[in-house]
Amino acid sequence: MNKTLLGYVPEKSLIYAVHPFVKLFFLLVVSLFPMFVSAPDWNIILMLVIVLLMWVSRVNMSTLKIYIPVAISMGTIILISYTVLGGTHPEFELVAKVWGVNIYWERIRDAIIVYFRVLPMIFTMVFFLSTSRERDIIVSMRSVRIPFVVTYITAMALRAAGMVLEDFQIVRQAEQARGFDPVGKSIAYKIRQYVMYMVPLFALSLRRSEEFTNALVARGYAFTGEATKVKRADYILTHYSYKYFDYIFIFLVSVSFIALLVLRYGYGYFSVDQSWLIDLLRNALSVRGG
Amino acid sequence: MTEEVRSELTAEEIWTVQEGEKRSVGVIHIVILALLIGIGFVVGAFGSISFPLGFGVNFFWTGIVVQQVGPIWFGGWGVLAGAIFPFFSNAIAGTPFYVSLAYIPANAIQAFLPAWFFRKFKLDPRLKSGRDYGFLLLAMIISSALGALYSVLVVLKGFGLLTADSTSLFIWGWFGGNVVAGIVFNFILLKVLSPVVIRTTAFVKRWWS
Repeated sequence: MNKTLLGYVPEKSLIYAVHPFVKLFFLLVVSLFPMFVSAPDWNIILMLVIVLLMWVSRVNMSTLKIYIPVAISMGTIILISYTVLGGTHPEFELVAKVWGVNIYWERIRDAIIVYFRVLPMIFTMVFFLSTSRERDIIVSMRSVRIPFVVTYITAMALRAAGMVLEDFQIVRQAEQARGFDPVGKSIAYKIRQYVMYMVPLFALSLRRSEEFTNALVARGYAFTGEATKVKRADYILTHYSYKYFDYIFIFLVSVSFIALLVLRYGYGYFSVDQSWLIDLLRNALSVRGG
Repeated sequence: MTEEVRSELTAEEIWTVQEGEKRSVGVIHIVILALLIGIGFVVGAFGSISFPLGFGVNFFWTGIVVQQVGPIWFGGWGVLAGAIFPFFSNAIAGTPFYVSLAYIPANAIQAFLPAWFFRKFKLDPRLKSGRDYGFLLLAMIISSALGALYSVLVVLKGFGLLTADSTSLFIWGWFGGNVVAGIVFNFILLKVLSPVVIRTTAFVKRWWS
């Protein structure tokens, strides 16, 4: 199994046949798709495609459970902010009046559009994080000639995040060994406990910074001055080469994006008026058309 | 220099480069930058996942401690880290890529202002007087207010994710989530760790060294 930023993916996964840059390119371009699509139907289709890609890549779907509360709370808050906090608009069509609050059809529709616009962007990000290892990110950055110092800092930051998580576990176990038990306690208690985590976490990280620095200096690393002007052999990139299907993927993603823009702005596709899902909802809520 | 002498440092002396004192950018600053991004990544993601409001806005954003205390201690390196790490922590917490990217100026402002206040007004990071506390609180409030206004009115409205009527909820969510978490963590962390940090070679008196 390969440890990715969000979980584990089998070493034999098809996703590792693809060059890491292709995954980054997919994230950068496909994240833009929902911004040009108003009809939720198409965004749902995009989400299904991404889920299919995750399945093909043999991503462990159980790691995605952490996003269920995020998706639910975000959906609820979007709906509340659009409907309950949406203000008074006599020009809109009233669907219901709940405890003196006017609920308009246009607000419900907009909330759904926004929600299904954000979800595929999140799915794209989750797909990238759940299939990319730390090394993939570094390789994809270096393959587009991002300066060595930037990629090195990124690598160190990602590694540091892993170490902080380990330190967090150690500190938490130490606190528990001293009798701290957050189960059933108030939010205030948990926040107070979190303060007790923060101080040792910071202290440990400061100590680590000295160790890191000594290790780097001992190995002759320098990020400024003459040493940085010497062209470095990039060992890690020698392990990755573009295959013909990498170019096909890049071409397909690029063409899809161009086609999306042409259809959207040239022919008016992907608008709300063409959404069968919105029509279905409109009928279900018995709102008159037009 | 003995610890006894160092403990007598005044706030003015903490920020002043003494005659003969050599300060330069070193590997340790690059390491600090990476470590701050790493800590912020974890701590920020915790807040973003535990108390979400939506689109990376949280009721209680724990990442603010790294974003504001880091720059006070480590100057520009902390500001850079404070601007960059929310991009990673928001990504893990499920914020769209381009929305996270667009938040960078707001995060940079939030990281920069407290550090600027401490350097400009020669405040003591060990929080020795009411003036230090007062200015820190003021910096937290102003920076969070600017960050909230930019991120909601420019970013979220710009992406078409909010209506005009719902912006106030998100502005207050961002502002409150940052200020409350800042009040809980920033003062304690500065009080407890500043006496140690100002003695390290990593401590930044000016902006980069």
